[in-house]
Amino acid sequence: MSTGAGASGYSLQSRLLLVFSLMLFLFLGLTGPVLERAFRTSIEAGAADRLQVQIYLLLANVEEQDGEFYFLQDLQEPLFSQLNSGLYGYISSVSFGELWRSDSARTFTPPDTSFLREAVPVGETHFEVMPGQDDTFFRLSYGILWEDGIREYSFTVIEDAAPYYSEISNFRRSLWSWLGGAAVLLLAMQLLLLRWGLSPLIRMAADLIRIERGERDKLAGSYPRELQGVATNLNMLIESERRQQQRYRTTLGDLAHSLKTPLAVISGLLPQLRDKQAGGDSAERSEQLDTVNEQLERMSQIVSYQLQRAVQSNAAGALARHVDIAATIHKVLGALQKVYAEKAMQVSSEMDEQAQFTGDERDLLEVLGNILDNAFKYGKSRIRISVSSLDTTHSAEILVEDDGNGVPTEKLEFVLQRGARADTLAQGQGIGLAVVSDIIHSYNGEISIEASELGGALVRIRLP
Amino acid sequence: MRLLVVEDESLLRQQLEQGLTRQGYVVDAAEDGKAGLYYATEYDYDAAIVDLGLPEIDGISLIKQIRAEDKEFPVLILTARGDWQDKVAGLDAGADDYVVKPFQIEEILARLNALLRRAAGFAKPKLEFGPLNLDLTAKRLTVDGNAVDLTAYEYKMLEYLMLHPGQVISKTELTEHLYAQDYDRDSNVLEVFVRRLRQKLDPEQTLKPIETVRGQGYRFSLAES
Repeated sequence: MSTGAGASGYSLQSRLLLVFSLMLFLFLGLTGPVLERAFRTSIEAGAADRLQVQIYLLLANVEEQDGEFYFLQDLQEPLFSQLNSGLYGYISSVSFGELWRSDSARTFTPPDTSFLREAVPVGETHFEVMPGQDDTFFRLSYGILWEDGIREYSFTVIEDAAPYYSEISNFRRSLWSWLGGAAVLLLAMQLLLLRWGLSPLIRMAADLIRIERGERDKLAGSYPRELQGVATNLNMLIESERRQQQRYRTTLGDLAHSLKTPLAVISGLLPQLRDKQAGGDSAERSEQLDTVNEQLERMSQIVSYQLQRAVQSNAAGALARHVDIAATIHKVLGALQKVYAEKAMQVSSEMDEQAQFTGDERDLLEVLGNILDNAFKYGKSRIRISVSSLDTTHSAEILVEDDGNGVPTEKLEFVLQRGARADTLAQGQGIGLAVVSDIIHSYNGEISIEASELGGALVRIRLP
Repeated sequence: MRLLVVEDESLLRQQLEQGLTRQGYVVDAAEDGKAGLYYATEYDYDAAIVDLGLPEIDGISLIKQIRAEDKEFPVLILTARGDWQDKVAGLDAGADDYVVKPFQIEEILARLNALLRRAAGFAKPKLEFGPLNLDLTAKRLTVDGNAVDLTAYEYKMLEYLMLHPGQVISKTELTEHLYAQDYDRDSNVLEVFVRRLRQKLDPEQTLKPIETVRGQGYRFSLAES
């Protein structure tokens, strides 16, 4: 696996894992504090409730005489009597400050004593967390109106918050360990899911390596639906590459073989030519030179034929594109009207502008170029072109007619003979139609030559 | 007639240069697209032969740029691949005809002839003006059906004048299209040629096919028949 510097160097698995981990930590990092806060709030609310009960307890038992508060019997809550028990009671008023404190608070100094003069509205409570030097305390004050209906007092209970906080920190500890555990578990599951989910891709990569090594010739086996298309296309590409390679090989073979004959003829003539150099029958010599020239022309023809066959694309359907037939014809006509400007051909056309050819534009250009070139070359003054799309089969039909002399019946078969090795072509026989025929058949199309009512040839091409 | 040949294969370039010069053309040869473009924009040509596969600037771009410069001389392209994509692309870019490699010089000459004629507005390979008949393919002149013997330069001058009938052709223009670049432009030589041509075409001085336009040049003044 590559570890390039750029983002493209990361594997799919590490990308997904990275994103998922980030999301997980973000989620847990938010969930933890929220839960902790909620827990603390509920603990504090619980503490406030408890303190409220203690205040009611004090209120139930307190007696007052001449501004002094006392209790007739021991308070139900023993913590009020126990020195430094952690639960302290106070009675105070705004004007006098502290009026009474419980036995437990005898040596206790609250972190902040301002609450003793605090005005708490009658019937209301005031809860506060008092952070101290070492400890933190909860305080609840309750404002009351004394029995005489005049005097107002505050009853305050302060409780050491340490036990509560230890509970909170216990909670926090267990919360985070649970969340951490969940994170680890989720990550592990994610890893497994990714492994499982990406395994077809890994399998495909391994298969491709096997193809590269030549152990296999295509992607076999079934892939998930999302990958099936890729696999099919890859197979098609591999297949088309293989066919192309095959074609190059045959072309090369054909080329080498077919060049041998003319080469042999020329090299056979050379000694004779050399002998006669001193001076000989000039008529014979010029005949021999003509033969050399003829053979050279033949070789050049062979080379162009094989060259065109080799570069011709191989009609692999799904990889090809749609080419507008009418537009291509216009393009070729534009070019040919220049070349044959002197002939001033009258070209009439009836074209279905929607007609499409599924394949390589180069191939269509080659077919139309050769056919139309022949029409311009052999036609006298008129050319008729018609393009129609055959809806039923999604194919197109192209007709090209001229008013020339047409193709003699005995030659008809020969000019369209496809795949003919160029060394079997007759002298002066053009390679154009053979190439056209090759291309059309490679697309499973049809081509035929008939007699046109214009007097010349009618070339009928059906492309799938 | 002055031609531009742009071809990168030196052997082929030399062959073209020699073959065309032998036919009486004045040839400038460039070995890449850049040099070709320089020549094409700098000088006035009657036609150009451009190979499609060129270094620096490829043939098709070269033709496009030549046409963008409003140069309207005919362009003949040479293509090695010979497939229709190349041919159509070249002709579409502004070329006028193509020849597929390998070719024989005769083919180039024939196509070139046709292009030059077409560019001058003549459809047939023979120019007929009254009793004068110039066969551009055979490079032969007849007056009233009798062949007239012309030297190469006389023929070149007459051909140029007859391809631009009715137009005043300056001596500079004539020199440029008849001689190679480094030719010492002595207008006396032209006058000698014109005088000899007049004698050969019209010994009795009844036709007066070549007029002298004082201070401007010469004009072929017969009407086409």
